[in-house]
Amino acid sequence: MSERQPSGARPRGAQKPQRRASGGGRAWLRHHRAMMSDSALRLVKRPIATLLTMLAIAIALILPAGLWLALDSARLLDAELDESATLTVYFAADVGESRAMDLAAEVGEQPGVAGTRLVTAAEGLADFQQTLGVDDALAQLETNPLPASVVVTPDVTAPAAVQALSQRLQAFDGVDEVRLDLAWLDRLQQLAALGQRVALALALLFGLGVLLVVGNTIRLAVESRRQEIEVVTLIGATHAFVRRPFLYSGAWYGLGGGALSLIILALGGNWLASPVAALAESYGAHFALPSLGIGNSAFLLLFSTILGWLGAWLAVGRHLADIKPR
Amino acid sequence: MIAFEHVGKRYGGRFEALADINFRVERGEMLFLTGHSGAGKSSLLRLVMRLERPSRGRVLVAGHDLDRLHISQVPYYRRQIGVVFQDHQLLLDRDIFANVALPLTIQGVDPADAARRVRAALDKVGLLHRERALPIELSTGEQQRVGIARAVVNKPALLLADEPTGNLDPQLSADIMRLFEDFNRIGTTVLVASHDLALIARLRHRVLKLRDGRLVGDGEVA
Repeated sequence: MSERQPSGARPRGAQKPQRRASGGGRAWLRHHRAMMSDSALRLVKRPIATLLTMLAIAIALILPAGLWLALDSARLLDAELDESATLTVYFAADVGESRAMDLAAEVGEQPGVAGTRLVTAAEGLADFQQTLGVDDALAQLETNPLPASVVVTPDVTAPAAVQALSQRLQAFDGVDEVRLDLAWLDRLQQLAALGQRVALALALLFGLGVLLVVGNTIRLAVESRRQEIEVVTLIGATHAFVRRPFLYSGAWYGLGGGALSLIILALGGNWLASPVAALAESYGAHFALPSLGIGNSAFLLLFSTILGWLGAWLAVGRHLADIKPR
Repeated sequence: MIAFEHVGKRYGGRFEALADINFRVERGEMLFLTGHSGAGKSSLLRLVMRLERPSRGRVLVAGHDLDRLHISQVPYYRRQIGVVFQDHQLLLDRDIFANVALPLTIQGVDPADAARRVRAALDKVGLLHRERALPIELSTGEQQRVGIARAVVNKPALLLADEPTGNLDPQLSADIMRLFEDFNRIGTTVLVASHDLALIARLRHRVLKLRDGRLVGDGEVA
């Protein structure tokens, strides 16, 4: 009379373990399928409430996703910068054309230099005239005020290494000045690092927001199905069985919210596209707003689905403990 | 089938719902549990259903020491017991068929097999023609019979009923009791808590009588 295992003296229920062993997996799958469609149906039956919850989730997802997109576009920018990060070595005014060519060749042999392009004083003046359109003013000058220069493309990209190269070139006899605008590049990189952290913090914060939104919605759902939960618990439902429909609801909310956020991001991108293009045009640049792409969109959907599921899991776990059959 | 050994149950450390209860129920027995309201009938049933644990003593059901049953095994234990409630506890948003099928759904019984057993149970309580009706479309007596069909659909070894005729007139009450006797005749152990003493006296089964949490009578006369 006192065995511990329920399998021992199962009276007429003795046929049960066998049935569970043979059809257990199939029954489990069947219940999963049933709950998946049942929970979806419940959401569809209350479209406004469902949409509002999904919208709240979508808004919580849009901010970090949007910031991530902005950072992504910044990364696109600095990829372009890498190619154009050059040093300009200005020679002293008294360096003649042949001496300038010798110096340029010498600079080209330095370690860390990938390529050089000599800009003679005359070429420099022509460039200057072309870009600024100040023909008249320059025509008044008797002598060319510009020194010859050489544009150096370094084969290193680390700001510190480029800095060191610039100092070595500065020490050359006949070199007046080495122009290297790394400070803003540095700042941009720091800004990007900061942005990444902010995006991460926002993602965590708003992820928590999604958990709370789903958790609260599921809490209400649990409350409204309290009698049903009590009854099925009384007649032998496991916690997993009771939890299942709510977990699917949470996952649906997450998936719907994620899809909605993708739609809103796409619409917003469309809306911003033409002013951004016009702005870029005015800087003579081609710049299009980045989009998430298939991989990242799929990731966002997966992430929001998991968040919804997790929010439901937390809420149900907490509230099932409160529900004790009378 | 059921054994109570020096069982006591206190709520909140002070109120003593049950004190030193001892009895045994053999497999295949049918018996009544009586007493005025508050005498401890519901507490006793809740102990058998493992909704609560005794403060003292041991409760053994079908070979399980309920106090040593792990929490994860409790659902599987409850599947061996059919329970009929006074207020039937049907799910109002589902039809009769789905309500009766609920225990089988929980156990993951194959739908075709389940449908056959649900119809058999509904046939037994005489409600096969109402399987697509919603609970609110049924009379109180019919609802109670659906509750009974749900309790027996799983062919439990033990059937518990808590005031199953509390809301019914004498004729319907007698019908319900006759149903319980039918299930008992095919081997089910039946324990019915009721304060309908007149009805109980007519049925001539063993009666456990509770008064203020103590067992004061155990015999055939109420």
